Amino acid sequence: MDGIRVGNRIIGTQAPVTIGWENIPRVEGGPVKQFVFTHFQPAVLFALIAFWYYAPNSIAKASTAIGIGIAFKVLLLALEWVNPRYRSWQLTWKELVTDLFYVGLGYTILRMVDNYIGDGVIIEAIQNSFDWDKLSWFTGLPLLVQAFAISFMFDFGQYWMHRGMHNWYPLWLPHSVHHYITQLNINKGAVGNPVELFLIGLGIGGFFDFLPRAALLAGALGMAIGTYQHINVRFNTPRWWRFLFNTTEHHSLHHSQDFEATRSNYAGSYIFIDRIFGTCIDGEAELLGMEGGRRMSIREQMTFPFTEGWKTIQEKRAKRRQGTAPYDDEGYEQTDAIPAE
Amino acid sequence: MNLRFIEWIWHIKGSLALAPGQTAQDAFDSLDPLFRQRGTTSERSGTTLTFTKKDQDAQDKMSIFDDGILRIEDGATGPVLRYYLASRALLFCFLAPLLFIGFGQLTVALGKLETPAKEEAAKKPEKEEAVQPQNPIDKFLGAPAPEKPKKDPADKAKKDDKKHSPTAAYVFAAIFAALYVIGRVLEDRLIRSVFRKAVRGSEELPELVTA
Repeated sequence: MDGIRVGNRIIGTQAPVTIGWENIPRVEGGPVKQFVFTHFQPAVLFALIAFWYYAPNSIAKASTAIGIGIAFKVLLLALEWVNPRYRSWQLTWKELVTDLFYVGLGYTILRMVDNYIGDGVIIEAIQNSFDWDKLSWFTGLPLLVQAFAISFMFDFGQYWMHRGMHNWYPLWLPHSVHHYITQLNINKGAVGNPVELFLIGLGIGGFFDFLPRAALLAGALGMAIGTYQHINVRFNTPRWWRFLFNTTEHHSLHHSQDFEATRSNYAGSYIFIDRIFGTCIDGEAELLGMEGGRRMSIREQMTFPFTEGWKTIQEKRAKRRQGTAPYDDEGYEQTDAIPAE
Repeated sequence: MNLRFIEWIWHIKGSLALAPGQTAQDAFDSLDPLFRQRGTTSERSGTTLTFTKKDQDAQDKMSIFDDGILRIEDGATGPVLRYYLASRALLFCFLAPLLFIGFGQLTVALGKLETPAKEEAAKKPEKEEAVQPQNPIDKFLGAPAPEKPKKDPADKAKKDDKKHSPTAAYVFAAIFAALYVIGRVLEDRLIRSVFRKAVRGSEELPELVTA
């Protein structure tokens, strides 16, 4: 495959990708379907902002946000049936069970661990020792500015954590499992090795619970934008949206079987962060995954970072014993593992 | 232990009448594409076909099955395809509720362990928290004014209790129990339909033969 030049990079030499918005298919069907799948994303975003902005204090609570989040995911699952982006990504019983298993881990054991060694405990310690008067300039800002600032700070951190995962082998090992998914569905964002899920869950979200409404608005922004990363729905996403926000198209490229394409579109919500740092590629891909699209079992997903890491250490030792340098001429590790860099 | 009484949990078996005169060779040839998928190995021996699957593709029509036997036998009214298929996915889904109940119990146990520490913390005097200011723009646009944070220690206790609530774990246990029932029925029907379409093409549905 020749690939396509995007800036200094050649994308799509290993697997087919579509580059450029003009080459991406549009929603097929009658005017009502076209209308719904063109305006759905902005309509939901603005409706949620309006809801959290005006909801009485008695309703503006985390429990309401959880309820809305679950209902939204069920709605999106229905949309996957109505207007799939690719038939080859159709949700099956086994895929649903696998995805929900990881969603379940996130709501139970990972949350439990987080309370003891994750950001939960760190945030509590900071909150108890911080002089909050120093933040009064922030708490007096308009709500939407506060909300955007919170979600941007979170996404900015996620961008660098994610980019780090693709550039540093010890972080790549746990993240690589997530890249073995071979199709995008609404709960696929939860699929990954628990070590990675713990790392990616580290953030500043809980830090702002002293600003309940701004934090809920920030959560709504994340939900109404970031949820579309992993979804099998064809939208006619508006031009302004895809310039600012991450889309399923961007994220499918990130999951492509083409190595160079995976090294793009790291942000969770705000793709303009990728645009600023030169890692954004506009396009999409259908063939996803690693090792030519090999689907990994849950058992292997649990053990892969450890077995693969151990294998790499053994190989390095063997090479040292043989007197061969563990790095090739370009400075990359000589290993069978799929390289992160 | 005799697994005969519990193997239905992760095994699916059934049978399908073939067209009169259809040979084992013909039937297995029709089914052949199902066993030419990535990660699949199969072996034919006369009237028997055995297969194993590893790292099945998500869209493999037999993705939930890991191994199995298909056999062509003579029935009362003609040749019959009998199949016996094993699925680790079904077993996993059957056991998943136990795992999540375990997580729930662990959450409760950890909550009990932490109770003395919580009581100790509750005794500490809490700092007076001021009401958050509201920006004039938000006031003008009609957003509800922020409430003064409640100092009620019961609220803090409630927040801590939520950390140790097993509800989410039990909800997922129930979800997986429901998914198992759905999957056990659905996948049984789907694989029968896949085999039927393969061996009979678009012909009329043959009458089911009891195993």
